Amino acid sequence: MTRREFMDELGALLGDLPDKERLDILADYTEHFLIGIKQGKSEHEIAESLGSPKTIARELLAGYRIDQAQSNASVSNMSRAILATISLGFFNLLFVLGPFFGLIGVLIACYAVSFSLLVAPFGILMEYGYPEPSQERLLLLFGSLVSVGLGGMLTVGLLRFTKWIYSMFLKYLQFNVQMIRGK
Amino acid sequence: MNVQFKKGVLELCVLVLTAKRDRYGYELVASISEKFHIAEGTVYPLLRRLTLEGFFETYLTESQEGPPRKYYRLTEQGRRYMNDLVLEWRIFNRGVNEMIEEGLGYDKT
Repeated sequence: MTRREFMDELGALLGDLPDKERLDILADYTEHFLIGIKQGKSEHEIAESLGSPKTIARELLAGYRIDQAQSNASVSNMSRAILATISLGFFNLLFVLGPFFGLIGVLIACYAVSFSLLVAPFGILMEYGYPEPSQERLLLLFGSLVSVGLGGMLTVGLLRFTKWIYSMFLKYLQFNVQMIRGK
Repeated sequence: MNVQFKKGVLELCVLVLTAKRDRYGYELVASISEKFHIAEGTVYPLLRRLTLEGFFETYLTESQEGPPRKYYRLTEQGRRYMNDLVLEWRIFNRGVNEMIEEGLGYDKT
């Protein structure tokens, strides 16, 4: 790999970083190449001992993501930090994604239940049209009201629960990020 | 070697290498890879992180031959951190050595 190839690849891989930071990093490696060349090494040799730009970029990106996550703890920043760290091979994917998908699954199921409770009565009413009053019809109507009520309450509860899950998951991610930093 | 372990050791290396005088990146990389094999490119991210955490200060110096060099100077905070790491390393090292002696050494009976 020539110096040009190395720098181009590294620059491209660091595309997500702010310009200032990326240029600063690239300057370090340019300096390294220039000094090495002065000492009589070939560009290929230098690139070889530097290692792959991918490894270097992964390291730098993980550092950057963790900083981001520490200064602004949103789920997206946190997940990026964790994913970047996973790509470094520190961390088992299951630790993070396992609980995450588990929770999402449970939430989706609960939402589906409350949605069907809310909607079911309309289906029943559609089926029967405006029924003539009779015992059976009244029972159906009553059942529908109960179903809508339950569905409504469940939905409100679920929304709260979702918020709670969000904050817990954030804490869990934060804990992981701190572990990665070793603090 | 385990990635995380090697990382910790590298950190210790760059810190002690700058204990007596400021050094530039290439120099640090060369001194370390003289002793054992590393992917040299990973030293720069490490230097960067240590600088961000306030353990190093950097400055550029023009050089006679070649490009300007970025020098790393250990801060007071960095020195304290280094001392902690050195102490930890010594304890760790002694423990491992004792276990190696016990495990592989000859019986003294």
